[in-house]
Amino acid sequence: MGARLFKTLNLLVTTLVALFILAAVSTVLVRGLPYIPASLKAPELIFAVKLSLITSIISTTACLLAAMPVAYALARYNLPGLGVAANLLRIPLTLPPVVSGVCLLLLFGTTTFGTTLARMGLRFVFTVPGIILAQFFVNLPSLITVLKAAIESVDIRLEYVARTLGYTPARAFQKVTLPLIRNNILAGLVLTWGKALGEFGAVLMLAGATRFKTETLPISLYLNMATGDMEALMSSAAILILIAVVSLAVFERAGVKPYERVPGL
Amino acid sequence: MEGLPAGSLRLSRITKKMGEFQLRDISLEVFPGEYFVILGPTGAGKTVLLEVIAGMHAADAGEIWLGEENITAWPPEKRRFGFVYQDYALFPHLNARENIVFGLKNRKLSPGEINRELEAVVSLLGITHLLGRLPYTLSGGEQQRVALARALVMKPGVLLLDEPLSALDPCTKETLQQELKRLHRLTGAMIIHVTHDFDEALYLGDRIGVLMGGSLLQVGSPEEIFTRPRGEAVARFVGAENIYHSEIILHGGRKYVSLGGALLQVETDLTGRAGFSVRPEHVLVSSSPQPENCLPGKVLAVYPRGLLTRVIIDAGERLVALVVAREDRGVSLVPGSTIYSIIPPAAINVFYPPP
Repeated sequence: MGARLFKTLNLLVTTLVALFILAAVSTVLVRGLPYIPASLKAPELIFAVKLSLITSIISTTACLLAAMPVAYALARYNLPGLGVAANLLRIPLTLPPVVSGVCLLLLFGTTTFGTTLARMGLRFVFTVPGIILAQFFVNLPSLITVLKAAIESVDIRLEYVARTLGYTPARAFQKVTLPLIRNNILAGLVLTWGKALGEFGAVLMLAGATRFKTETLPISLYLNMATGDMEALMSSAAILILIAVVSLAVFERAGVKPYERVPGL
Repeated sequence: MEGLPAGSLRLSRITKKMGEFQLRDISLEVFPGEYFVILGPTGAGKTVLLEVIAGMHAADAGEIWLGEENITAWPPEKRRFGFVYQDYALFPHLNARENIVFGLKNRKLSPGEINRELEAVVSLLGITHLLGRLPYTLSGGEQQRVALARALVMKPGVLLLDEPLSALDPCTKETLQQELKRLHRLTGAMIIHVTHDFDEALYLGDRIGVLMGGSLLQVGSPEEIFTRPRGEAVARFVGAENIYHSEIILHGGRKYVSLGGALLQVETDLTGRAGFSVRPEHVLVSSSPQPENCLPGKVLAVYPRGLLTRVIIDAGERLVALVVAREDRGVSLVPGSTIYSIIPPAAINVFYPPP
């Protein structure tokens, strides 16, 4: 194949794919945007937006709190068993979210563990905490992966040097590694949050789809699709797309410091 | 600036396996105020040894003592040995000033005290003009100075330097060698400096320890390591190119080794089978036979090296001589010509061959 033909072909396919995505997304946006102002007055959509924001923010925070120590352990400790643990932690990443939801449903709905928790007041089946748990379970592995790669990219000798200067391992992490991976954390959070906002399968299985109870934006979209309410369907889809576009923009703009471009650091 | 007086640092039978590196049974004592150089080729385990001394890795076996304290189980933050890595490992997100005061910030010092300490170390190293800059904008030599300042500002009793000069260009390297010597004089800190560069070790070290294949093969003064390497590996590493094996022959109350059929008188207490080494610069050449320790041979090749000339001689065995070009008057240094090599007994270093 000639060099020109090769280049033309690559660019042609790229253009076609870009157009395809743009067409699919803009169809919803063009039709949905006009409905947004009106539907934002609809109590059901307001409920869905609020519930989505609250659950996704809580689950993203929980993901960060859990992923950071796990990522550090996987990146920094050289212990037998950690390799197995790393693979175990990746399982939810490869499962279809619906299956993750079934796993959670069985664990919290049918086992002694689940019923004991429920008796203590921690109910996850068909509840709002269930939404958060489902989002947490599905998104945790990818955040761990992002943070682990980030921590590994910071030369461990920087932490060593900090320790020779009197810093404990925790302080060295806080003062050296953490500032150096700040942008990776931000990027990981935006991705996690975006995915939590759109999480459907696992949420549906564990928390169900009850109007005004466990109705997040994607669930709302699903319910409206089922009942044929195209107006509400369009606006929730458009809102989800807008949020995705904005978070992508934030992600892209997460400033990269000059020293982060220096190879080898 | 004064360094804190510390007792001597003693490593006792340290063993550590780390990936492909292994430290075997390292015992060593370094004294307060001493400039100790660990010399060894790449892959000898030098960095691992320094990291074990600093406390970053626990030894598999053995003990480390500082003065009267057994510090084997102390973490790095308790030992607080200054550490400068080969590539300096400056914190990339902090400017030079923040890098230097990083350790001080962890102590409860007033801003005034921090500034005083900073001023002192910065003027000592002549880096006042660099304080506002981020590490990636600094040259190798400048980064080196900042890394040294960051370690020295804490007044460590022990300063560990991991190949601190090997990433620098020759000119900067020389300047910084002098700098290190000056800093050592001024601070009085115990310095353990790791390098693969023999000249650097000769210039800086009060004593040198030769580390090869994870074992400490010889510890001694630079002079001793240079002229009396205690084994074939050390001899080869320090540039004694002529290395042979022979039975030590006792004859008329004197000891001799044989080389290429000739007998050479040696000064040694050893007996039996032994190895011996001769530095090329200790071989003298002449156009006529001499009465003592003289080997006839043929010139194989001649390599002019400015003032010096490297001559490869076939004296029954391959012999390398480094002669001053001006002093070879009357000697025909052309391949094929006959030549007499004289090796004075004092220039022959005899050692036991490895078992």
